[in-house]
Amino acid sequence: MDTSNPAVFVNAELLRMYVGRRVRAVIQVLRNDGGSIVGKSTDEQQLVVKGHPSSPPTTFVEVIGVADTNQSINAEIWTNFGDNFDTASYNTVCQLANGDFKHLFI
Amino acid sequence: MMFESSQFDSMPGGATGFVSSQTADPSPSSAKSRDNQPMYPVTVKQIIEASTSADDKSNFLIDGISVYNVKLLGMVFDKSARVTDVSFVIDDGTGRISCNRWVNDSQDTQEVEELTDEIYVRVHGHLKSSQGKKQVVVYAIRPVKDYNEIANHFIECAHAHSCNTRLQHNGSASLASTTVTTPNKAHQTISSSQISQEYNLDGLGSIDKMVLDYLQLPSSLAQEKGIHRNEIAQKLKVSQEKIIEAIESLESEGLVYSTIDEFHYKSTAS
Repeated sequence: MDTSNPAVFVNAELLRMYVGRRVRAVIQVLRNDGGSIVGKSTDEQQLVVKGHPSSPPTTFVEVIGVADTNQSINAEIWTNFGDNFDTASYNTVCQLANGDFKHLFI
Repeated sequence: MMFESSQFDSMPGGATGFVSSQTADPSPSSAKSRDNQPMYPVTVKQIIEASTSADDKSNFLIDGISVYNVKLLGMVFDKSARVTDVSFVIDDGTGRISCNRWVNDSQDTQEVEELTDEIYVRVHGHLKSSQGKKQVVVYAIRPVKDYNEIANHFIECAHAHSCNTRLQHNGSASLASTTVTTPNKAHQTISSSQISQEYNLDGLGSIDKMVLDYLQLPSSLAQEKGIHRNEIAQKLKVSQEKIIEAIESLESEGLVYSTIDEFHYKSTAS
């Protein structure tokens, strides 16, 4: 099956390693500028997500898309994760997926 | 119960509540002795990289152990419904795998009707390889409602992976030698005994782990008065002081307790 296109779990710090590649990240929405959302990554840095969510974003959204720059993602798929989300656990997964357990993920 | 519902209750990532209810899902289908095989949490990439054993094409090797039943969590794509079954693809960010769910009764119908592209689901099923393509024959599909399950699932995968690979690599003297002397329950495979020994081992040193493994042996659990710490020291060839230290730390974690006196200990898992 197709493994050619994994979407790596990233936080802001890891995003810069994947510019031009598919990533997934959870963002806490701070501001919706229409066409782009400014939010906070799971490692508490500012990120910009470009694109149009299919429904109004909740406090936490997951975006899957291509890393545009080291601080922005072109989102293709948006998933509302609600208003209550454990960002620390998700951030741990980002670290595992890019660290000791990388071979399970990418 | 065919699956141990407590297997992964104590995950380091918090969010534990939902785990047991899901593993408790009884799968009525499936043949032979496979019914009592544990559910193994995996990423799609692990399935894709799994090798099938030469003698039995339905057995997959993941982390060096034979895996049949799996737990997956990912996003649904390419759903295609037919009269008797529904096929779809699960993409968990590590890869994509075909899934197939047979629809037998109205409950099944309801379950697959909920399925739409781009939603997150948790899938339980078994691995199958046909014409060189791997797929998952699904027993149960549950839409993810609490998105913390995603992180939890992947931490579970990492945890299961590290438990199994660590056990194999260290070949921890205690475990290797004792499996020979203690008749492991008849047909129990390595996989199930290893997985059932998972608990919260964060922060436990290797001697702690050896002591705990020793106390978890069926022969040790059978001893009503527990095991004397001298015996543990002797069997593991570790100094008394280190054993006492290990027992203290295990006791503070609530994993062992003293029995008739302060020299005899038992695992709380019994």
